[in-house]
Amino acid sequence: MRTFIKLLVSDLKQFYRDRTALFFTFAFPLLFMMVFGLAFSDDNGMSYEIGLVDEDRSPASEQISTVLKQVSIFNVEQVDNLDQELVRLRKGYIRGVVVIPDGAQANIAMGKVSSITVYYDPSQSTSSSIILSTLNQIANQINQQLTNQPVLIQVEEQSVQTHDLRYIDYLVPGILAMSILFLGLFGSLTMVERREKKVLKRFGATPVGRAKLLASQVVYRLILAIIQASLIIILASLVFKVTVIGSWFELFGIILLGTLAFISIGYFVVVRARTVEGAMPIIQLVQFPMLFLSGIFFPVEMMPTFMRPVVNALPLTYVADALRQIMVQGVPLNPMWLNVAVLGAWLVVCVTLAIRFFKWE
Amino acid sequence: MTQKFVNHYVAQIENLVKCYGDVRAVDGISFQVCRGEVFGMLGPNGAGKTTTVEIIDGLRAADSGEVTVLGMDVKRVPGRIKEKIGIQLQSPSLLPLLNLEETLSLFASFYKRSLPIDYLLDILALKESRKVFVKNLSGGQQQRLSVAMALVNDPEIAFLDEPTTGLDPQARRGLWDVIEDMRRKGKTVFLTTHYMEEAERLCDRIVVIDHGKIIATGSPSELVSRYFKERAIRFSVNPTPTKEILKEFPGVIEVAIDGEDVLVYSDQIPATMSAILRYAEETNLTKQLKDLHVRQATLEDVFLKLTGRKIRE
Repeated sequence: MRTFIKLLVSDLKQFYRDRTALFFTFAFPLLFMMVFGLAFSDDNGMSYEIGLVDEDRSPASEQISTVLKQVSIFNVEQVDNLDQELVRLRKGYIRGVVVIPDGAQANIAMGKVSSITVYYDPSQSTSSSIILSTLNQIANQINQQLTNQPVLIQVEEQSVQTHDLRYIDYLVPGILAMSILFLGLFGSLTMVERREKKVLKRFGATPVGRAKLLASQVVYRLILAIIQASLIIILASLVFKVTVIGSWFELFGIILLGTLAFISIGYFVVVRARTVEGAMPIIQLVQFPMLFLSGIFFPVEMMPTFMRPVVNALPLTYVADALRQIMVQGVPLNPMWLNVAVLGAWLVVCVTLAIRFFKWE
Repeated sequence: MTQKFVNHYVAQIENLVKCYGDVRAVDGISFQVCRGEVFGMLGPNGAGKTTTVEIIDGLRAADSGEVTVLGMDVKRVPGRIKEKIGIQLQSPSLLPLLNLEETLSLFASFYKRSLPIDYLLDILALKESRKVFVKNLSGGQQQRLSVAMALVNDPEIAFLDEPTTGLDPQARRGLWDVIEDMRRKGKTVFLTTHYMEEAERLCDRIVVIDHGKIIATGSPSELVSRYFKERAIRFSVNPTPTKEILKEFPGVIEVAIDGEDVLVYSDQIPATMSAILRYAEETNLTKQLKDLHVRQATLEDVFLKLTGRKIRE
């Protein structure tokens, strides 16, 4: 035990003295969260820039324009030149163009159908669908008013979440998952470096057991994971008012389980690498797809269906989902038991393989 | 095996073989190390010294042969042996962001018993640099730290692999004192070295190995007198005479030429000397003849004779 504690304290001391490691472990995820969080902070009151071309210039079209301008998620700018507006749409400055065609009032007066044209960019699928459905709703309302039909059925919107999920609420568990990924995967590099520089050989010349060397490394990483996660959660609550809704116990349980799983994956993938230079690209190759395909920055739903098997195979998907469920009670991707089971399975398989194949010298 | 026999030898090596591919790095070596002696292993680079020592230490497995250290089989109980021996590896890189004192204290924690850190820092003259990070230590300081690490568990046998390489003369002498002090305390030191002067001064017994085989064993003075009844005349000259010419001189037994340096072993020093001087006059090389002197044969001469190479090649 004395040996184990000495090893652990030595590792922590070295970490504390290594500025690069300090920065990448603690400052980097915080910076990342600040940059992303601030960049998308007005997400809640997000409004879409809409161009409005009123060709009719009648009291009726005036009325429609007024209704449109009152919609909170639209930021309507009334212009005359349609072509110019379409160019702006193509370049992505605006999200849609609404055109009230000439003769709208006349048609309405005659009881004929009058169409309002909407230009949108289908590549912006989310914003386009929101704009289209909002416009349809407005059209319905106006129709009802014009025809004086009573409203018999009304859809009342009620969010399934107990509170509105902002992007930052989505992002913070993602940042936590990302930092667990880094902390775990890169953990094995220390061992590769010590093997390469014959530090392990020097340890091997003493009676100290390999299990102790490994255990101290793992516990050291877990301690870092707890500190790192706490810093992220504290900053997220101070700056972005993100609060942990679920149980703290479960939250840190998943953080530790995730870190263990990624440590074991990290050890497994470098079993054959002789040098740090050789191990680095392997780890990056493992880390890169997970960063983008595990739904840590944007929802998995936004990915094409054919990518789903890949998404479902990545362990980070389950860490992010579990953390999100616990922290902000986001919409579950998987049941909690599945998240835990998948992480446990990765852990057991990779530990077994790493122990079987890891070369000490 | 009697108890006395076990006590007398702290390490017994029987017919050790280790191959790397087709190369027989260690080719059937047998020797014993006695309790309380400074035992030297000499040999040119690539002779198999490090491999032999690492097998004895339990860091490497032999292909065949028996190694018994302190009465225990290295293959069976490497952990128990490591508890009682100290190993200094050539230029190990350690944990760069620990300071010297922390490094020693960490290694001390690996053993059941250990020497006080202050004592180790003191005998190796490292007290002033105790708070220096390992990565900032000078070469000499790192070298002394690696010796201190080998001694941290107060070992029965210390295996020191070229411990004075890279040390200044003063530090080297300090380390010699440490080694002699260990002998006084009844500890055993297993030394590999490049410095013949060091081996001659420190070692009670020596084995010389080359190409994985032992080519000579004995105390330094035994080795010198066994291989050299003659003494050596040394000089440098340009151009050097050929070996054939020199061998014709009276009394000459062996000749070695290395660049401008000529070494002539002779059992009739005056006759050989005058032949050399006469040769220089006849060939008009008197002015080029430099540094002519006669000396006793040393371990270095034995080494040169046995291996055909200088040890530092």
